[in-house]
Amino acid sequence: MQTRTVGLLAKQVWRNTVKNRSTIWLFGVFNLLLLCALLSGYQYMHSQQLLALENSEEVRERWVNNPDKHPHRMAHYGYVAFRQKYPLSFFDFGMDSYVGNVIFLEAHRQNTVNFSAASLSNGLLRLGEISAGMVLQLLVPLLLFFWGFSLVASEREKGTLKIVLIQNVSAVELIAGRALGLFYLSTVVFLPTAIIGGILLGLSDLGLTSIGLYGRFILLLIAYVFYFGLLSWLAVLISAYSSSSRASLIRLIGCWLFFTLMLPKVSQLVGQTLYPAPTKIEFDTAVEEELIQHGDSHNPNDPHFQALKDSLLRAYGVESPQELPFNYSGYVMREGEKLSAETYQRHQENLVGIYQKQQQVVRLTAMLNPYLAIKNLSMAFSGTDYSAFKDFQEQTETYRYTLAQTMNELQIQHISNKVESSADKKAIISRQHWEDLPDFQHQFLSLGQVIRQESISIISLMVWGLGLFLVTNRFAQHLKAF
Amino acid sequence: MLIAENLTKIYGQQTALWQLNLEIKAGEIFALLGQNGAGKTTTIHCLLGFILPTEGAAYINGLEVTKNLTVARKQVAYIPETVMLYPNLTGAENLAFFSSLAGFKYSTNELEAYLTYAGLQAEAHHRRLGGYSKGMRQKVGIAIAVAKQVKALLLDEPTSGLDPKAANEFSSILKNMAEKGTAILMATHDIFRAKEIADRIGIMKEGNLVSIIKASSVTTHALEELYLQMV
Repeated sequence: MQTRTVGLLAKQVWRNTVKNRSTIWLFGVFNLLLLCALLSGYQYMHSQQLLALENSEEVRERWVNNPDKHPHRMAHYGYVAFRQKYPLSFFDFGMDSYVGNVIFLEAHRQNTVNFSAASLSNGLLRLGEISAGMVLQLLVPLLLFFWGFSLVASEREKGTLKIVLIQNVSAVELIAGRALGLFYLSTVVFLPTAIIGGILLGLSDLGLTSIGLYGRFILLLIAYVFYFGLLSWLAVLISAYSSSSRASLIRLIGCWLFFTLMLPKVSQLVGQTLYPAPTKIEFDTAVEEELIQHGDSHNPNDPHFQALKDSLLRAYGVESPQELPFNYSGYVMREGEKLSAETYQRHQENLVGIYQKQQQVVRLTAMLNPYLAIKNLSMAFSGTDYSAFKDFQEQTETYRYTLAQTMNELQIQHISNKVESSADKKAIISRQHWEDLPDFQHQFLSLGQVIRQESISIISLMVWGLGLFLVTNRFAQHLKAF
Repeated sequence: MLIAENLTKIYGQQTALWQLNLEIKAGEIFALLGQNGAGKTTTIHCLLGFILPTEGAAYINGLEVTKNLTVARKQVAYIPETVMLYPNLTGAENLAFFSSLAGFKYSTNELEAYLTYAGLQAEAHHRRLGGYSKGMRQKVGIAIAVAKQVKALLLDEPTSGLDPKAANEFSSILKNMAEKGTAILMATHDIFRAKEIADRIGIMKEGNLVSIIKASSVTTHALEELYLQMV
């Protein structure tokens, strides 16, 4: 393949397309749309970041300023954790608007993450948001198909193709050249987005390591470049092997509908059917039932905790819990928390396992669908996919457990075993202990974790690239000149 | 230079070309006469590798076309019945683009010289092709073929859109190219033009090459009689 010939053919596509006035309008409209999407996304992300930061500070301040009290009361006073927006979330909103941002953390209970943007907004959000990611994934392909459907087919219809092919141009060079020209056109839309995105990212750095944040951004851009390259190649390949421009356009629009609307919905449906998930009520009931079987740490007559008490009394050779060298109630709370957390964790892991199997079905269909592959990659690099949310949930549960057990330890160590009730003056500890619990810090997934989780999507794009290359080479001999 | 060896093309039940054997040497002009559907264009398309023969083989300068498509095409130029180029480019820009694809980079003066040689008026060189007549486009097609500096030239009804003066100029160009050693195969309906410029004339009927006549051995009138008898 001669790169000079490919370059000439690509340059011709560029020149012919940009000479058209409607192309200039389209460039303008798309760049404006992307600019609006980026700026509004950034503005929303920034305001949410500030809100989370301010509220987190207030929650911390209120926690440490609590008066002297019984530590178990503090365990029930609880903590509120806020989900931080990843600095790249302005690029692709992903699932961000539909998952919760705030969770109340307390002893014994695993609450849900609430206050998603969707639940707080009016119904308009359901009509869909416009993010740069959405425009690049859904609308730019349409633009490329619109520019590319006739690139070879119309030359065949007009008769120019015969003269082109006779000038030492092979079918592979022709397809590669036209595809490269089409790809050049996509850069007019993509390049400003990448530059503005980079500038906004610089403004929004929340002290994250540059390697992680900018590494994600660079990989995100590379993924999109590859995606546009694939689509350009696909458009020209279909144009080359269609009998007419009309047939080519119909096929490309069909591909777009199949890839962006049909296949994602079908794959979700298949995933949900193959791996049905319990409802929220079913999940909570199952956890509750198992906890009842294990025992209630607040009930002094519970058989499980009665047995625990008996074993402790035997081990320490005493007659009553009051004679134990530590606070018995705190000890029971610690054991109860451990049991309930383990039970919840097991059920949660099962549930997450089901969700992941459903996701896996969708991920596997990315092998058939480059749109799904780029969608998954874009969300993952922007920190707005399900994995990012799941990771936040896991961090909050770990923090909740630490909170409850820290308070239980304080009770075990500092509260006398002979107090009548938690209102007793001896049952109160100094507020200075509240600072023993560190503040909740939402940590984002590392670049390596994101790449590992999205390996199928990365492989999918590569398989598509290889597949298109092989198909082009295989059928190059059969390209019809007329 | 140009060889057809048992060249056959069958579409379903229809035989477009049947066991054509033909050799056109360097410097020779061979004209193919025949009615529409006689197999003239199919012969040219097989030689250019645009269609795969059902049987037999086509050779350009000793290279089997289907097996060495790109290299074989490098040595041949083609002028179709209607030359379709890029209407948004000028004649000179079209010539520059197609020459670049063929690996030739010409200066503006050289491009203009080729266009003038092909008979295109100087004032039209830098006008957009969209405003050209069929004859003018044909001349740009000739310029593209000449600028490719090839050893073989295939033409499919090349003079059909040209006025008599332009057709005459075109004949001179072909003769000139043949004198320089180019093998030329021309499919045409124009008996007069075939007799005037060809060294040999083949008459085709229903996919078969039914007769080969040495042009110098017959008069135009006799050729016409012969043609009418055969088809």
